[in-house]
This record gives sequence, structure tokens and C-alpha cells, in this order.
Amino acid sequence: MTAPGSPTLGPPLGEPVALAAGGTSWDRVREDLATHGTALVYAWLEDLEPSLPSGDGLRELLGRDWTRFLDLTHADVRNRYIASRMLLKHAAGAVLASDPADLELAYGPTGRPYLRGCDQIDISLSHTEDLLLVGLTTCGLIGVDAERADREMYGGGLGRHICTPYESVLLSGMPEAERNGALVRLWTLKEAYSKAIGQGMQFRFTEFGFGPDGRPVRVQRPDGTAGTGDEWIFRTFPLDGGYVISAAVYDAGFGRLQDAHVTTMLDQDCVDAITEALDEDTGW
Amino acid sequence: MSLDNVDVFLRTVRDDLGLDLPDPSGADTALVDLPGWDSLNLLRLVALLEESGHRVPVHRLLEAQSLRDIHTLVKEYRR
Repeated sequence: MTAPGSPTLGPPLGEPVALAAGGTSWDRVREDLATHGTALVYAWLEDLEPSLPSGDGLRELLGRDWTRFLDLTHADVRNRYIASRMLLKHAAGAVLASDPADLELAYGPTGRPYLRGCDQIDISLSHTEDLLLVGLTTCGLIGVDAERADREMYGGGLGRHICTPYESVLLSGMPEAERNGALVRLWTLKEAYSKAIGQGMQFRFTEFGFGPDGRPVRVQRPDGTAGTGDEWIFRTFPLDGGYVISAAVYDAGFGRLQDAHVTTMLDQDCVDAITEALDEDTGW
Repeated sequence: MSLDNVDVFLRTVRDDLGLDLPDPSGADTALVDLPGWDSLNLLRLVALLEESGHRVPVHRLLEAQSLRDIHTLVKEYRR
């Protein structure tokens, strides 16, 4: 297992896009989505804080998340909550050609977030410390996770709650200085995959694993044999500032969607029927 | 001191996980409202509890909404 971010085989995924002033980031996000079917975009909390909405603007941005937000009391937690929703809705708004405030973030039975009424796109959110990360895909499902590359994981008995037997053997065979970084990579891949399938930690991390970096990444059974096929794409990227992010994307095989705009997604037969009905009612 | 005592439990969480718990309401604060709380800290807590003889199943811990909920499970699953 090597440091995350070394060359991997398999279908490409665009490099994570850093949110920059001036809106140019959204062009990259749209381009990645058209090319790869998936886009990853990240931002730093301190960069977003000056533009976080408040008052009516905040309530409009959060929509049904407003009541969840009111339950939060800690200022840092509140700001991160707002910033993550702002990043997500602006990124989704850019690719859907929609006003961010018109997008409604909803949650499935396991807490998995989705954009209500926009099933042409799947989303995933992650944050750690001041880093905020959003994943978008038109392929099928996506899960993303971010973590500090030097976060202490190896040792303290934690490995046996994270690793499969096969992964434990691989890690223990590595030079000691590389083990923690390799475990952080595995952790982010597991978090990303479990988010994509909507299970979170209900799917025990010791029940599925990943192989070494530097070769096509697949979900593995606890003994290291293949658990999934080519329908899943996994990538891990190092970010400046000492962070690692991973993405898990399930490709349902529908091909690339060139235009994800909200208006394009309207069913034409449905639009015709409504138009016809309105014409009859109003005599237009 | 035993983790059965809620103050000892909270001190362990504060010291060993390095979390900044609000005082005195730390036990009842929602986990999602605790700065720094995340899934890795949950697993670190599982490992800590095991060391002190409390094998709490992860799926039960995932149902917890606050540290007091977790402490209730700690008492339930002591060896």
C-alpha cells in the first residue's frame, strides 16, 4: 500500500475542483460532470464564512433543513452546517441550471442526502475540520469522504474495528512509518463507499475492504477476494494542506448525461399534457 | 474510577478523544452538536470502552443521540 494519490488504473475521475472566486470553478465542475459523469468540489470554511447568509436568506437556503439547524447550538458546528449546504446547493445549482434556493435537500431512511425531484444527479457531502467536500454524479450513486492525512488511526486498538483480516495483514507488512497514512486511505474509501450505498457504519467496516493503492481499487471481501466489479469506481486524492479525500461512484450504466439542467429533465409528454390542459382551461 | 460514573465517563471522552465538551451540559448535548465528533471518534470510543471491559455493539452506539445515551449503554454492557 502506498501513499494515496499514486496513479491508478480504471476509468478516470476528474481531480477535485477548488472553489475559487469569480465562478470559474463551476465551469470546471460542469466540464467534469459532462466528461466523467462525476465532479468533486471542495472549499475551505474560512473562505466561505464571509459570505454565509443570515436571516431570511439563510432560511431560504436551508429550506427544510432550517429546523435541524435550529437544534444546533455551537457556533462552529452551525457555521459548518450552513457552509456545507451552501457549497452543495451552489454546486448542484450550477450543474442543474437552477437557483440554489429552489433545490430541496432531503434525507432517505438511513439519513442519506439527496436532492428532491432531481434524480438525474446524486450527491454526497463530507467535511473535516475546515475542509468541505461535495461529490456530484450523473452515473448513479456517489459517496465522498475527507480526512486529515496525519490523523492518528493506527494503534490504540482501532485497526481491528476498521480493517478486514486481509487489510490487517497488509498493513502489518508495511514499514511502520507508512501504516497510518495507508489506514487513513482505507478509512476514507470505506466511509465513501458506505455513504454511497446509504449504510454508513451500519455496514461494519471489518466486513468489507480495499486493496493496496497503485492498482485498480475494488471492494474486497474480508479475505481479500473481489467483492464488486467494474461498476464501482474508487479514487483517493491528496489535497494541499495535508488532507486526503476519497470518492466511491457506482455507474448504473446509463452512459454520460450531457445536459443535467432541471428544465431538460422535464418529461416532454408530461409537459405537453399540462400545456394542453392549461390551454383547454384558459382557452388560449 | 469506573466508567459507570458519568463524570468519569465524560472526563475519559474529553481527555482520551480530545473533545471540547460543554460544561456542565456535555452529557446531554446532541452528538451532532459536539465540535469534533465524527464516526472515527465513535470507533475510538468503542476501542476505549473495550479496554475498560465494556463491549458495546457498534449498532447500539449508532442509535445514541448524546453522550448520556452512550453512557447508558456503557452501564448496560459492562462485563
